[in-house]
Amino acid sequence: MSTTAFSQFSMPLLMGNSLNVWSEALVGFNIMGLPLGLIIIAVIPLLFIALYSLTYGVYGERKISAFMQDRLGPMEVGKWGILQTIADILKLIQKEDIVPTSADKFLFVIGPGILFVGSFLAYAVLPFSPAFIGASLNVGLYYAIGIVAIEVVGILAAGWGSNNKWSLYGAVRSVAQIVSYEIPAAIALLCGAMMAGTLDMQQINVLQSGDYGFAHFYLFQSPIAWLPFLIYFIASLAEVNRAPFDIPEAESELVAGYFTEYSGMKFAVIFLAEYGSMFMVSAIISVVFLGGWNSPLPNLGSFALNTWTNGPIWGAFWMISKGFFFIFVQMWLRWTLPRLRVDQLMYLCWKVLTPFAFISFVLTALWEIYVP
Amino acid sequence: MQELERVGQGSVRVTRKSDKLVIVEKDLATEQMVLAMGPQHPSTHGVLKLECLTDGEVITEAIPCLGYLHRCFEKCCENVDYPAIVPYTDRLDYLSGMNSEFAYALAVEKLLDLEIPRRVEFIRVIVSELNRIASHLVAIGTYGIDLGAFTPFLFCFRDREIILGLLEWASGARMLYNYIWIGGLACDVPADFLKRVREFIAYFRPKAVELQELLTGNEIFVKRTYGIGIMPADVAINYGWSGPMLRGSGVKWDLRRNDPYSVYPELDFKVVVPDGKLSVIGDCLSRHLVRAVEMEESLKIIEQCIDKIPSSEGFNSRVAIPKRIRPKAGEVYSRAENPRGELGFYIESDGKSTKPVRCKARSSCFVNLSAMKDLSKGQLIPDLVAIIGSIDIVLGEVDR
Amino acid sequence: MSEYFGNIKTGAVTIATGMGITLKHFFNAVHRKGDAGLDDVDYFRQVDGLCTLQYPHETIPTPPNARYRLNNDIDDCIGCGQCDRACPIGCITIETIKVAPDDLASCGKTRDGQQKKFWVPLFDIDVAKCMTCGICTTVCPTECLAHTPVADFSEFDRSNFIYHFGNLTRLEAEAKRGKLAEIQAKAKAEKEKKAEEN
Repeated sequence: MSTTAFSQFSMPLLMGNSLNVWSEALVGFNIMGLPLGLIIIAVIPLLFIALYSLTYGVYGERKISAFMQDRLGPMEVGKWGILQTIADILKLIQKEDIVPTSADKFLFVIGPGILFVGSFLAYAVLPFSPAFIGASLNVGLYYAIGIVAIEVVGILAAGWGSNNKWSLYGAVRSVAQIVSYEIPAAIALLCGAMMAGTLDMQQINVLQSGDYGFAHFYLFQSPIAWLPFLIYFIASLAEVNRAPFDIPEAESELVAGYFTEYSGMKFAVIFLAEYGSMFMVSAIISVVFLGGWNSPLPNLGSFALNTWTNGPIWGAFWMISKGFFFIFVQMWLRWTLPRLRVDQLMYLCWKVLTPFAFISFVLTALWEIYVP
Repeated sequence: MQELERVGQGSVRVTRKSDKLVIVEKDLATEQMVLAMGPQHPSTHGVLKLECLTDGEVITEAIPCLGYLHRCFEKCCENVDYPAIVPYTDRLDYLSGMNSEFAYALAVEKLLDLEIPRRVEFIRVIVSELNRIASHLVAIGTYGIDLGAFTPFLFCFRDREIILGLLEWASGARMLYNYIWIGGLACDVPADFLKRVREFIAYFRPKAVELQELLTGNEIFVKRTYGIGIMPADVAINYGWSGPMLRGSGVKWDLRRNDPYSVYPELDFKVVVPDGKLSVIGDCLSRHLVRAVEMEESLKIIEQCIDKIPSSEGFNSRVAIPKRIRPKAGEVYSRAENPRGELGFYIESDGKSTKPVRCKARSSCFVNLSAMKDLSKGQLIPDLVAIIGSIDIVLGEVDR
Repeated sequence: MSEYFGNIKTGAVTIATGMGITLKHFFNAVHRKGDAGLDDVDYFRQVDGLCTLQYPHETIPTPPNARYRLNNDIDDCIGCGQCDRACPIGCITIETIKVAPDDLASCGKTRDGQQKKFWVPLFDIDVAKCMTCGICTTVCPTECLAHTPVADFSEFDRSNFIYHFGNLTRLEAEAKRGKLAEIQAKAKAEKEKKAEEN
């Protein structure tokens, strides 16, 4: 482990010259020839997903939905019901792991796994902080868009393997939905990539940093950037099956959709995957349009707010809080809106989002070429 | 281009017509699937089973299978005295017990030719209109849930809770009241009751507006219900529909107006029919709108009743109740406007017994549900859910 | 085309309205509504806010006339059995023994001074069956049978739902019954004697 990593641990990190110091230090961390550091790099996002879905994902969503509905939410387990999620996890662990007799056992078992891996793999390129990224790929954004499609396989495996008509409906709906929504989502992200001129997630962040804080974010850098931003946000809702696009798991139509037959830990893994991808899309949108780990505060004369609030630890804070903000908006939408129908979903995708995505693509390109 | 023709199930027939490739999609036959929706399904509103024959997500046929909640109401009635039937009528349509009791009391009073004190009549109208609002709140809230909006449901239940509290205060029970008795009431309403009802009306009006903004105003909700499950007026009449369902099809039919009972002729209220501006007449949205606007009409009725009600001085709610109810031999059919439509009671008396020889309930939900087969043809599964929700069935009344 | 853009516009506006409403409720969650009953004068003057009551700790007050658990004040019961006959579902079981003339004083009077003429060794109410319709309470001549506002009386064993209100133990009942039979036998013998004499 390099000594520079430790020296930079606590002090504000200068931009550009020492990106990814933590992760690079971890890569070099070998004990007895075992690449322990690499494992730690992989474990950090995993731990993050588990912790965040336990706290903000499940408990937070319950409380937020409760407050929006004039309810109290969980109150019994622990003070204000804080330990409710722990109790739920304990319950899920104890539950019998049922595999229906007529299910395709292999697909049924592997489905939640693929689903989780699909959402987890994208974390490899999420820059959690200027000093930490799982894999600093130069095609990071491209990889993130592509790898999400693996989830479709998991959903289809789960839905088909359950041998349940409702699950099958859910799986088929889900495939149609996710595959369709990849197109506007990808084009919208390309607008951001075009503004950056790179697909490297860290570089996209670096390019959005500056003294004026939020003014450097791509959302505010061009007059049309709000359009791809909005399109990607809507499309990302559909990609992670959140309301109002939750038709694959529409509980009032398809009971529970593709995971109707799941119980116990497999059910928990499916939920973990859902919360994982929720943060993943929120992180991508904040990286591409809202500066990722950059502080939104501007430097105001002698109050160098931006400089003070930047650095590896501050970066992680900004990244996570931006992600959490978008998750809050997702929850907020979920508890407000009814669900769309399948054909309306496709209408929205192909006739509204895709054309507008193309328009914004062209406009962004023109802006980038003619406006310096 | 090679001519390709395979005949049989699941085949694609590609024929060549004047150098143009025509794919005949009709021949893309897929296997039909029987989908049992219910009796345990989140949106069949109880233990209803719909046997759907589906082609993909399109429903070719949906047949309701009933009887999971059959409790032998009519047989029970033949074995208990006339007054003891009242609690059983509560359990028909358990969301609007007051209205069911009212309908039953009207039937027996018609058989007995009873004169009812005016205050009793007014209180009956007030409590049954309150119950109508509560029932419509459940209908609207659960309809929101069927379409995926969870929050309006809880707002509806928050306000329904207050109505249930009011009715509990008046009658002593929250849902199964046994309050409207043959010839009178179990007791007079508490002293402050009418004042509190007035306060409730003032409280509820803005809440109803908020509910409309949140649910009915929402474009997704409108898109989900607009033009879905259209029932033309003539077919609706042929099916024997009644209540908000029939009014949703554009027929101005309200028993409170067309076959008036109690003090309804003295009251000023509108029979709500959709005007076709916001919705296609006869679709799910029309039916929903009728319910939403009817709540406001009920509020108006209650206000007028509170203004007109005679004072409680020297009032005995049981003064007209006969000591022993033994009607003359004969039969009677009487009906009343329930939140879900016409609830009629056919009662036959042999003149000797204190128990009816026959007591048949004509329940609106059962009749409304019978059109399911027509309504569901060619709809998608999400639309089927929307249609069931708009029929607003209570299985307690369907199966009796 | 204008319809297309109109749709998008109404969609966006109505979604924003809905989100505004939910957000308003979200920020209003700092208030709680309180647990006043409807018979409280200030019921509608409570703040708008979270309206959940955490049940076992907080309850909605039941009004004094609420009809829940049946209770029989056996000291006032004259054993007329009207409630048993009136009950539509038959959840009341009653058994009576006529009071022997010399026991009348020990049997006592009801609160309003009526002489009780029956021992009630068995007065069982199966509250699990009871549908709280209140018909039995209206026929009760002494108003000893009444619904109480106690709404929560759940049990783990169904047999605990049978409430015993009888005012005699089994031994006492046996004794009373024996005594009555004795008196009746005596009366019968006397009657027969008289008949023979005549």
